[in-house]
Amino acid sequence: MKRSVSRREFIRLAALSAAGAILASCSPEATQLADPTAIPATLTTQPATEANDAPPATSTGATEASTSRPEPTQPRASEAYLSVVHGSDPAAITKAALDALGGIERFVKSGADVIIKPNICTDYHPPEYAITTNPIVVATLVTLAFGAGAKRVRVMDYPFGGSPESAYAISGIADAVKAAGGEMHVMSQPKYKNYTIQGAKSMKSTQVYPDIIDADVLINVPIAKHHGSGRLTLGAKNLMGVVLDRNTMHMSLHKRIADLNLLVRPTLTLIDGVRILMENGPTGGNLNDVKQMNTVIASHDTVCADAYATGWFSLEPRDVPYIEACADLGLGTLDWQGVKLEEISL
Amino acid sequence: MKWSHWVRLRKLVQLLSFAFFVYLSFAVVERRVAPPLADIFFRFDPLSALGSMLATRQWIPRLALAIITVLLTLLVGRAWCGWICPLGTLLEWVSFKRARDILLKGVKAESSGIKGVSIMRPYDRLRKLKYFLLVVALLMALLGSLFLLSLDPLAIFTRTMTTSILPAIFYGINSLERLLYQVSFLTPALDWFEGVVRGTVLPAAQPLFLQNLGIALVFIGILALNLLAHRFWCRYLCPLGALLGFFAKFSIFRPMIGSACTSCSRCAQVCRPGAIQVQSGVLHIQPSECTMCLDCLASCQPGDMHLRPHYRPAPKEDFDLSRRETLGALATGTAAVLLLGSQLHRHQPNSWRIRPPGVEDEDTFLSTCLRCSQCMKICPTTALQPALNEAGLEGLWTPIVVPRQGYCDYGCTACGQVCPSGAIPKLSLEEKRLAVLGTARIDRDRCLPWASATTCVVCEEMCPTPDKSIILEEATVIDAYGMELVVQRPTVLRETCIGCGICEQHCPLSGEAAIRVYAA
Repeated sequence: MKRSVSRREFIRLAALSAAGAILASCSPEATQLADPTAIPATLTTQPATEANDAPPATSTGATEASTSRPEPTQPRASEAYLSVVHGSDPAAITKAALDALGGIERFVKSGADVIIKPNICTDYHPPEYAITTNPIVVATLVTLAFGAGAKRVRVMDYPFGGSPESAYAISGIADAVKAAGGEMHVMSQPKYKNYTIQGAKSMKSTQVYPDIIDADVLINVPIAKHHGSGRLTLGAKNLMGVVLDRNTMHMSLHKRIADLNLLVRPTLTLIDGVRILMENGPTGGNLNDVKQMNTVIASHDTVCADAYATGWFSLEPRDVPYIEACADLGLGTLDWQGVKLEEISL
Repeated sequence: MKWSHWVRLRKLVQLLSFAFFVYLSFAVVERRVAPPLADIFFRFDPLSALGSMLATRQWIPRLALAIITVLLTLLVGRAWCGWICPLGTLLEWVSFKRARDILLKGVKAESSGIKGVSIMRPYDRLRKLKYFLLVVALLMALLGSLFLLSLDPLAIFTRTMTTSILPAIFYGINSLERLLYQVSFLTPALDWFEGVVRGTVLPAAQPLFLQNLGIALVFIGILALNLLAHRFWCRYLCPLGALLGFFAKFSIFRPMIGSACTSCSRCAQVCRPGAIQVQSGVLHIQPSECTMCLDCLASCQPGDMHLRPHYRPAPKEDFDLSRRETLGALATGTAAVLLLGSQLHRHQPNSWRIRPPGVEDEDTFLSTCLRCSQCMKICPTTALQPALNEAGLEGLWTPIVVPRQGYCDYGCTACGQVCPSGAIPKLSLEEKRLAVLGTARIDRDRCLPWASATTCVVCEEMCPTPDKSIILEEATVIDAYGMELVVQRPTVLRETCIGCGICEQHCPLSGEAAIRVYAA
């Protein structure tokens, strides 16, 4: 007898909580969130401001606040538009590249929620093979961000070969980031949201990991690699890792990369050129294809940084159609010779 | 220690064993390196050991731990069934006792010979079935077919866990999260939960398996049989139980009834497997059916039941196979082997029959594979799926690679590490990268750059071999708007392609891919 009553109570409790969950999900706030059009693309709505004075959006904050990551800041007169630093110490050149831009404080304000997006495309090979971003470069950015007062620093990518956990481990990035106090974050499929992209030419909407959109600071850290269809994979292409359905992006790859860059605007792009992959990219596997460059490139302007990096592969910026497409959408400049470039050798 | 304490200890051991079995199911999520003890249950399983050794005619050292189980059984009977076996434990917990009592109300009970006591044992002679199945399974193994090892209880449970239960649980959690993420104030809690479980016990991608419903139905059927008798499967069907039951006939320690017995038959009524017979007022314990649950010893009112050494084999029971029935089982086994072996699908080369990395000979594989699903459980991309008829019915539930569902990860050697019988060889990463599963071929009538004047080279991008096994040729075509367009058309280099299938999985065409791996 006692048992049947307790079962009944259990069922009642379960029914109540289910009803509660359904009611909660029908609340106006929830429907507003679920509506993809409620989240505007940031480009046209946000004026470029010199300093990011907006209060850090908490993850419970309203949609508008959390999606209003400002446009990447323009450099002041004393600061470089583009910095290129050569040297054998990956940590030192990373720091020097940021210093030339005005220091990490230009991008990361105290209390900021920071996401770093390296290229961790597979779990096939260790970092010497130059298929994943240099772990020291990533860890240095974590340390610098915390130094600038970041509240939280997460590192994430979604590999196409192997699982996130194994790719994080093999790339060496997991160990380096954890040692620097950062978090490795697995992008969870149930969390992806559909975003419409205003001004898009080919990809009008796509599913993106919302934390990437909502973070106060997004630092884009690609490794420069040869790539079959993209010709090269650099900063603008690296952002494909935050999209759920990447396979269909390939049907019009270059236009769609540019469209994605309309939606996802990194605060800072730092191209890892410590080692670069000259052939058989993006998956690599052959040490003969790896070239030691001992260089990093940094800018708030992804297009400009990418344009500079094409030179490493004896290409012109316009040889890589997605870089050109990004410039055509007004996302940045191809003319890296025309901006204030600081080149440093350590 | 009182017998009731022993009963409590038994329940604790059952709980721990079951918990460890469940833990191992989650412990392999997203792993490239098998966790320690990943295949430990199978290594203690004498049916798997005997079957695969008979079939391969080889001593398989990895399965030698099964001798311990046999020795344990020779010492204390079917303690495996009552103390260790996770399927047995589940069937004991999900006993449906009340429903069974209601269902069987009308069934006529046998008189026990003791005044006022009747005991319901409606299907006692069915116990034969499991011995029959055992003889058939072992004869088939001797003739090279491990088909019936698919009925090993550990294999059944592992297979159901892998293909049905875990994917359903993950699907439930993912769906619930997707719903709750719509409610903004729950986001921090969900993020915390995700941070703890995603990539560790929850896989990053939702696993999906062929035949998940069919395999679940078999399992549900086994549970449902409990409506007819407590642990119906263990009593009447389990071939491993039959093998251990055979050894238990010679077991040394058995429950024995002392001289103070008042024939109250309490022991017979509490006996879970119904192993205590009451015939003409005399109680008689059948060691081959006793699962050493010790309930009888705890229930004895005069307190005169004991575990005592006993060196004489147990007497023949009604349900032991007669000579004629044994011959019948042998004939059945032979017929099954001949019929399965002469199936068209068994011999016809099948381009979909892509075996796991390192597997070379189909016949050797079929006579070594335990159908245990351990490989499918650990495969991080769920590339390994249970076969249906790809190798004929004999290959039922053996692993095949289904690249459209999951590719064979270039950085992974997990399946070979957990295969208990070595049917999938343990390969180093270097060896595995050279193991050819098949060859990819492009369907130029469907491939976008070839057939639709659309740019796309996902396959080339994904190809993991250090020198790409897919090359691109540029061609100028007229696109759908009448514009000239330069596309890159992929071609597979058949000499270097290893057939990992990542190209097939990521091909952006919907439905069947335009690039497909054909079995080696």
